[in-house]
Amino acid sequence: MSVQVPATLSEETVEEISAARDEPEWLLEQRLAALAALDELDLPDVIQTPGRRWTDLESLDFESLVDPDNQSDTTERSDVEGATVLSFEQAIDDHEELLKEHFGSIVDPERNYLTALSAALFTTGTVVYVPEGVDAADVTIRAEMNSRSLFSHTLVITEQSASATILESIESGDETDGDRYFSNTVEVVAGENSYVQYGSLQNLDEDTYHVTRKHAETDTYATADWIEGNIGSRLTRSDVETTLAGEASESKIVGAFFGHEDQHLDVNARVWHENENTTADLVTRGVLDDVARSVYEGVQDVGEDAWNTNSYQRENTLMLSDESEADASPKLIINNHDTEASHSATVGQVDQEDMLYMTSRSIDPNTARNMLVEGFFVPVFEEIDVEEFRDDLSELIIARLD
Amino acid sequence: MSSNEELQETNTEARFAFKKEEASAFKSEKGLDEETIRVISEDKDEPDWMLERRLRALKQFQEMPMPTDWPEAPDLSEIDVDEIVPYIRPDIDTRGGVDDWTDLPDDIKDTFDKLGIPEAEKNALSGVGAQYESEIVYQNMQEQWEEKGVVFCDMDKAVQEHEDLVKEYFMTKAVPPSDNKFAALHGAIWSGGSFVYVPEDTTVEMPIQAYFRMNSEGMGQFEHTLIIAEESSEVHYIEGCSAPKYSEFNLHCGGVEVFVKENAHVQYSTVQNWSKSTYNLNTKRAIAEQDGRMEWISGSMGSKATMLYPSTILKGRGASDNHITIAFAGEGQDIDTGAKVYHNAPETKSTVESKSISKDGGRTNYRGLVHIADGAENSSTAVECDALMFDNESTSDTMPYMEINESKVDVAHEATVGKIGDEDIFYLQNRGLDDDDAKQMIVSGFIEPLTEELPIEYAVELNRLVELEMEGSLG
Repeated sequence: MSVQVPATLSEETVEEISAARDEPEWLLEQRLAALAALDELDLPDVIQTPGRRWTDLESLDFESLVDPDNQSDTTERSDVEGATVLSFEQAIDDHEELLKEHFGSIVDPERNYLTALSAALFTTGTVVYVPEGVDAADVTIRAEMNSRSLFSHTLVITEQSASATILESIESGDETDGDRYFSNTVEVVAGENSYVQYGSLQNLDEDTYHVTRKHAETDTYATADWIEGNIGSRLTRSDVETTLAGEASESKIVGAFFGHEDQHLDVNARVWHENENTTADLVTRGVLDDVARSVYEGVQDVGEDAWNTNSYQRENTLMLSDESEADASPKLIINNHDTEASHSATVGQVDQEDMLYMTSRSIDPNTARNMLVEGFFVPVFEEIDVEEFRDDLSELIIARLD
Repeated sequence: MSSNEELQETNTEARFAFKKEEASAFKSEKGLDEETIRVISEDKDEPDWMLERRLRALKQFQEMPMPTDWPEAPDLSEIDVDEIVPYIRPDIDTRGGVDDWTDLPDDIKDTFDKLGIPEAEKNALSGVGAQYESEIVYQNMQEQWEEKGVVFCDMDKAVQEHEDLVKEYFMTKAVPPSDNKFAALHGAIWSGGSFVYVPEDTTVEMPIQAYFRMNSEGMGQFEHTLIIAEESSEVHYIEGCSAPKYSEFNLHCGGVEVFVKENAHVQYSTVQNWSKSTYNLNTKRAIAEQDGRMEWISGSMGSKATMLYPSTILKGRGASDNHITIAFAGEGQDIDTGAKVYHNAPETKSTVESKSISKDGGRTNYRGLVHIADGAENSSTAVECDALMFDNESTSDTMPYMEINESKVDVAHEATVGKIGDEDIFYLQNRGLDDDDAKQMIVSGFIEPLTEELPIEYAVELNRLVELEMEGSLG
């Protein structure tokens, strides 16, 4: 079933966006191709069980949500010695060949309706380019969304033996009336023996629909790690993925979410093992309060050529309220028998014995519960390289608990 | 040679693979329309309400789409319902089956003798039913159980003799035809199967068994099993299935409904060895009342493609459900199986233990759903899936789904996939076993949780089937 293409969209809209940024012909063509493909494309797959659809993307009213001409954001990017951290627009001037080579190479704009919409309409985003052998630590990108809709496209390229640790934070800026839509595409090209950790912390206001697709591809010996934090938004649909294309490459996909009120958080972590000796570790921890609902899908796909694969997945959800709902589906798709793979998932409330232990030491129940919830996220904190990210995430969790 | 020796000694493969000439008293036309159903219903002399249910199910079947939107679902495109012969009545005189083995026509008797049915009856069972094509041909139950009011009979006979019960329970509460396309197909053209009724406070100490055999090429078997276990009763039902291999596909599309009343306990065991040209699309469901206990034990060895997810609705407080499922997929097989549990009441418990083995390009998939409803507090569920892969041509998938609407619960899911451990094989080889024997031994150990739940005859049978699957193809 394809989706109605909003009437506000036309080739002229896309041409105007492209012309305003003085973009080269090839990029305009890619945008137009994505626009043309919308007619034929479907929304991303949503898990269905008898009588139930885990996330309702069909009711997203793109007609009113998408306002391509008035996109606005305020984004601050840190400078890092030896590496390039530029707005996408600026990067086109400075590194056109690099962008031409990699744009759309990792996240196919025509993968689904949402990626195509983003590729056609994006007006902001960042390019992080780390040349051979350079270590770019603590790259920070702080974005505020100031319009009804905003489409962002970010590209990270680490050359051989380079490394980058990145924090991207997304918040709502100026107040606007009504519902909003934020779309975030991130592509990571991890060169041979390079290391990337891309951390993303989303704390949009709760009138915003948030859609993100992040995908990394690893070369030989490369490591691409993701930290995906979702605190804000009314509805989030997040797909964080790695293709382990190079031999002996690795990926960790670490997720943290904390939903409250009527938030709906649909988070997905997927890894494709395509080569020998690759390793993946998927760790997601989530907390739900009030009537919030979480949906989790984790996929470990081991291809026929992926000899000697190690692949692990853990997902744990803590329910603070009886009215919340946690849905989970960890999947294994194994096509090579030389594999050690496992996954586990749990759902439950705060451990009653732990509570008893703490309250019997005269900690009041509320404080005890909050400490246990903070502790629940420790496995995520431990993975974070950028200290600022750890502090921000911790603050947001504490703020939500109060 | 006594038939017992024959059971022990004859080649298991030969015992399942033999074919009989088709000999039937009544065979419906291929395909499916209202007329076919009217003819079947008339041939069975059914009451009007049953014909109406069949026709309604047919309509639902025609309106429902094939389940093509399932991720990684087995390929069912070969199934053309218009090519299926839905109903074959074997040439027997007594409707509902004879109760003396010697009264069976020779060719049918020979079939079940080869499968070891009468021997098993003597040794370990409370009752036996045998279905050949679309009808039960033999049905017998030990007198001591009949005296206690236990009913074990052909489903068609139950429609006549226990009409009120059948009318109340038949595809109304557990498996309505609207459940899925193949449940609807089943509702339209079901034939044969077993009806089991166990009165209050009655424990049927030895298992009851039904054996299903498809002999004709291109036929479909659609037997319906309805088990009602009244308060504080207990019964173990075993079904076995087989068919010879034909070039044309066969379709098995059974329906099983189990009602576990307060404090009752039902165990339902299946050893499925359909031929590798059979599509096995079953719908099995139990409803467990307060403190009731349901157990599903399934071994899926045969079939070309299986889609089977025995499910239990835990409706009463304190009800529990256990699944043990073993799937073995060899060359050309796609065994997509699992479990479904709905926790709809407080203090309900479920466990699922799934073991799968894939080799020579076969595919296994565990597809399961655990749903915990709001209010089902203090419920717990534990799902454990282990998969063993023999080679790089095979596929092993695991797709569990969890829907948790209640916070005071304990939900855990675990799965592992791996190859046969080189160290384990090395260890066994050091003790004088050759490579093949070592692998067989490891597999036997791997499926032990299933075999230990079965009567010894079935356990032996299952082990032999596994050996057969592994024979000669190990290197």
